[in-house]
Amino acid sequence: MMPSDQNTVMFPATGAGHLDPADLSVYAMQLVSGDQAAAIAGHLSHCPDCRAELARIHGDLALVAMTVDLDTPSPASRQRLLSQLAREKRIAVPAQSASAQLVQPQVQTAEPQQAKPIAAFGRSGSVLSMEERKPKRRAGLIILTGLGWAAAAGLCLVAGSLLRDRQNLRRDLASQSGQIDRLTADAAQAHQLMDALTNPGAMRVSMRMPATEKPPQTPSGGVTYNPDKGSLVFLASNMAPLEQYKAYELWIIPADNAAAIPAGTFHPDRQGNAAVVMPDLPKGIPAKAFGVTVEPDGGSQSPTMPLVMFGN
Amino acid sequence: MNSETVAVNPTAPVAEDDALLLTRVHSGEESAMTSLYDRYSRLVYSVALRVLRDAAAAEDVMQEVLMQVWRSPSTFASTRGSLGGWLAVVARNRAIDLLRRRRPTDSVDDIALASNFNLADEAERSSLMEHARTAIQQLPRAQRKTLEMAFFDGLTHSEIAEMTGDPLGTVKTRIRGALTSLRKALQP
Repeated sequence: MMPSDQNTVMFPATGAGHLDPADLSVYAMQLVSGDQAAAIAGHLSHCPDCRAELARIHGDLALVAMTVDLDTPSPASRQRLLSQLAREKRIAVPAQSASAQLVQPQVQTAEPQQAKPIAAFGRSGSVLSMEERKPKRRAGLIILTGLGWAAAAGLCLVAGSLLRDRQNLRRDLASQSGQIDRLTADAAQAHQLMDALTNPGAMRVSMRMPATEKPPQTPSGGVTYNPDKGSLVFLASNMAPLEQYKAYELWIIPADNAAAIPAGTFHPDRQGNAAVVMPDLPKGIPAKAFGVTVEPDGGSQSPTMPLVMFGN
Repeated sequence: MNSETVAVNPTAPVAEDDALLLTRVHSGEESAMTSLYDRYSRLVYSVALRVLRDAAAAEDVMQEVLMQVWRSPSTFASTRGSLGGWLAVVARNRAIDLLRRRRPTDSVDDIALASNFNLADEAERSSLMEHARTAIQQLPRAQRKTLEMAFFDGLTHSEIAEMTGDPLGTVKTRIRGALTSLRKALQP
C-alpha cells in the first residue's frame, strides 16, 4: 500500500457501525496494508454482519475468477501431484506422531518435577522436626520448586527448539520433494516427447489451410502421432488470432471412419505459433487424417465446420 | 451494509458430491484427489496463469493449492460455500503473493465464501463461466479495467489511482460497483 493511501484512507465504519463495503472489497482482495488490514480484521472479529458481507464479496470474487479463459495444465502436473501425494502420505503419519512425542513429554515431565519435591516434604518427618527445620525446609522448598520450574522451562526450550528444527527440516524436505517431483515429471514428459517424435511407428502429417484465398501468411502445421501409444505432438505457425471465447481444436479422424476424436484446444501466441503436446488420447486408434476447427473456448464434442487446417 | 442474503444451497446434489469428495480426501483416499484435480485443475491453473502469465509458476500455485486441500481438508468446510469458487479465490491470492514476492498474506482459513453455485457440475460450471464472461464484458470499460487491475494484476487501489489518474475513492467505488453488478447479473 502506498504511503499516501495510509494518510488518506482510514476505512471508517459507516453510520450503522459497519465497514464500508467498498473497503471490504479491497480488503477481500488483500490489497490493503498491514495496519489497515489489522484494523479491519479487528472489526470483523466481532461483527457477524460484516463477516457475512465479506463472504458475499468472496463469492463475487469467485465469479471474477470464473471469467478467465480456461487453459489446461501440462499432463506432467497430474503426475507431479500424485507423486507429491504419495510422498506426503508417507511423511504425514510419522510426522504427527513425532510431533506428539515432542510436545507431550514437556507436559508430562514438567508436572512431576515441580510436584514431587512439594509432595515429598508433606509426607516426611514429624510435626516437631518440621517445626525445627521450617526455615531450612522452606528454603529447600523454594529451591526445589525453582529447580522444578527451571527444569520445566528448560524442557520447554529444548522441545521448542526441536519442534522448530523439525518444522524447518519438514519444510526443506517438502520443498526438495517438490523440486524432485517436478524434475522427474519434466524428465518423464521430455522422454515421452522424444519417443513421440522419434518413434519409427509414428506417422507424420503436414497440414495446410484448404482455403481458396491465400492469406499473406498461410497457416501450416505438422502432426506427429503414434496410435499405439496414443502420443501426439502438433506444431503450427502463422495461425490467425481468434475472436474472444474461441479456441482452435485439433481433431483426429479415425481410419475406421468413426467420429472425430478431439485432441486438444489451443490458442496461438502473438506470432501465430501454437502447439498441442501429448494430450490425453485413447491408445490404438489409427488415424486417417487430422483437422483443425474453430470452436467455443473449452472445446466441442464434435468438429464445427469449416476446417481451417487439414492433413492426411 | 448490504442486507441481501445469499445462502449456500445445502440440498443440491452436486454440492454433496463435493462434500463427499472432501470426506474421501479427509480419509486419505488419493483417488479423491485425482477426482478433485480432474474437476478443478483447469480452473485453478487458469486463474493462476492469468495472474502470473507463467505456466510453470501457475502449475506451482495449482500444486500448492491442491496440496493444501490434501494436507488440511477440514480447512474448507461445506459451510464455506462453493469448493470450486474457494479454490479459485485461494489460487488467485497465492498467485498475487507470488507476483508480489511476498509471504502468504493470510491463512486460507480466513476465506469463507457465500455462493450458491454448484461448480462441481461441469455443465453448470461451463455455463456460469460463460455468463460471468458476458457479464464482465458488459460492465462499463473503466469499471471492468479497474476490477481486472485489482483482481488479476494485484494492484492496490492506490497504485491503480496513480496509474489511471482517478481519485482513490473513485477506484474503490468502481471496484465495488463492478462486483455488485456481477453479483446481480449472475443471481440465479
